[in-house]
Amino acid sequence: MNYNRADLLDRLASEYVLGTLHGAARRRFDKLLIESPAARAAVRAWEQRLALLAAPVPPVAPPSRVWSATEARIASTAASTAAGRGPQRLWWSSLWKPALGFAFGAALTFALVQLMPGAFVSLDGLAQREQALPQSYVGLLQDSEGLPTLLISSTRHGTRVTVKSLRPVVVPAGKVAQVWALPKEGAPFPIGVAVPTKPHGGTAFEMSATSEKLLSTVTRLAVSFEGVPAQAGATPGDFILIGPCLKLW
Amino acid sequence: MTDSAQLQRDLARVALGDRAAFARVYQATSAHLFGVALRILNRRDVAEDVLQEAFVSVWHHAGSYQAASGQPMTWMISMVRNKALDVVRSAAVRHETEMPVTAEGEAIDIEDARPSPLQLLTQATDALAIRGCMEALDASHRQCLALAYCQGMSHCEVAAHMRAPLGSVKAWVRRGLERLKKCMENGQ
Repeated sequence: MNYNRADLLDRLASEYVLGTLHGAARRRFDKLLIESPAARAAVRAWEQRLALLAAPVPPVAPPSRVWSATEARIASTAASTAAGRGPQRLWWSSLWKPALGFAFGAALTFALVQLMPGAFVSLDGLAQREQALPQSYVGLLQDSEGLPTLLISSTRHGTRVTVKSLRPVVVPAGKVAQVWALPKEGAPFPIGVAVPTKPHGGTAFEMSATSEKLLSTVTRLAVSFEGVPAQAGATPGDFILIGPCLKLW
Repeated sequence: MTDSAQLQRDLARVALGDRAAFARVYQATSAHLFGVALRILNRRDVAEDVLQEAFVSVWHHAGSYQAASGQPMTWMISMVRNKALDVVRSAAVRHETEMPVTAEGEAIDIEDARPSPLQLLTQATDALAIRGCMEALDASHRQCLALAYCQGMSHCEVAAHMRAPLGSVKAWVRRGLERLKKCMENGQ
């Protein structure tokens, strides 16, 4: 099926949200949602339109066991982070998480921008930590499900870029993980290649100029899988990871 | 009605791992979301599971919720609906609840206590001033959308419910959606 036709995409999105798209077609569309920002946007628009219809559905208080079970599960995932999804959380990761989570949200959500003063006051010691960090450009790249996956950072006047994996990134054989900078205006440009890393592994690469020079107008960073390291002027393939790039000072 | 700004603030905190904020989100939204799940699934036990799954997802994905992309409640309703629809579509929940032989007990109680989908739709459109757009739809279009959206019915189920040919129902759903979109775009 040709998903590129805007009207067809919109129709599929509408029936997806309505719930009448099912079977193999629904699964295909689920897959498409991971790959296509246009499909995600169409679905979001339909969710907005149709969610109005759920407003008067009578609320029914769920039994308290739902909360107990939910709470137990999030507690166990938090505890099993040590063994499961995020093994051996590094000291910096717990240190950075509030700061980055905050910065990331601020970039994307107006609400969080409003929250900013409160968050800084209430997130204990955050300001202190931030003072301890060097002036840096920091990118937090997420996968298609929105899970933070790569942390890319570089000091303001340095050329060395540090890459940390928060989740495993599997680079297909014969491909490289190309890091792109997406300026506020203009085309994405390649800044380097990140070597595939294990969860919580690290790597680094050198850029052709300082962060300040290259990244000052960059609002997002992204990673695509390319056959060969991209040269200046190259067009990126599909972004596998993407996220905001922030000035941390 | 849930305070949307507060909910956004709490979700932002949930993204940072704040469990107190998560509890507030649950408290503010669980009854409404349970209502949504129950209406689609018709079964309390399954609806409870779906609600639990949805909130675990909220905990893990609060960071990916973007305020710019819509109301937090819309995001959460979509999460619940998608999970409920997955269950309905993948299992025989629908059949279990719709067969007269097995549709006893809770399912019927729930059924009795609820207003019809059409009433709900009318209330929604009243409340949100899109009534004009809904009224512009043919009655059959309106009913199809209500049955599909609120009850999670498939085309076939809507057709059986309305005693109409499947082809007509498909066309009504499509036209209903198209006209709703056009009307809301023109009106706003």
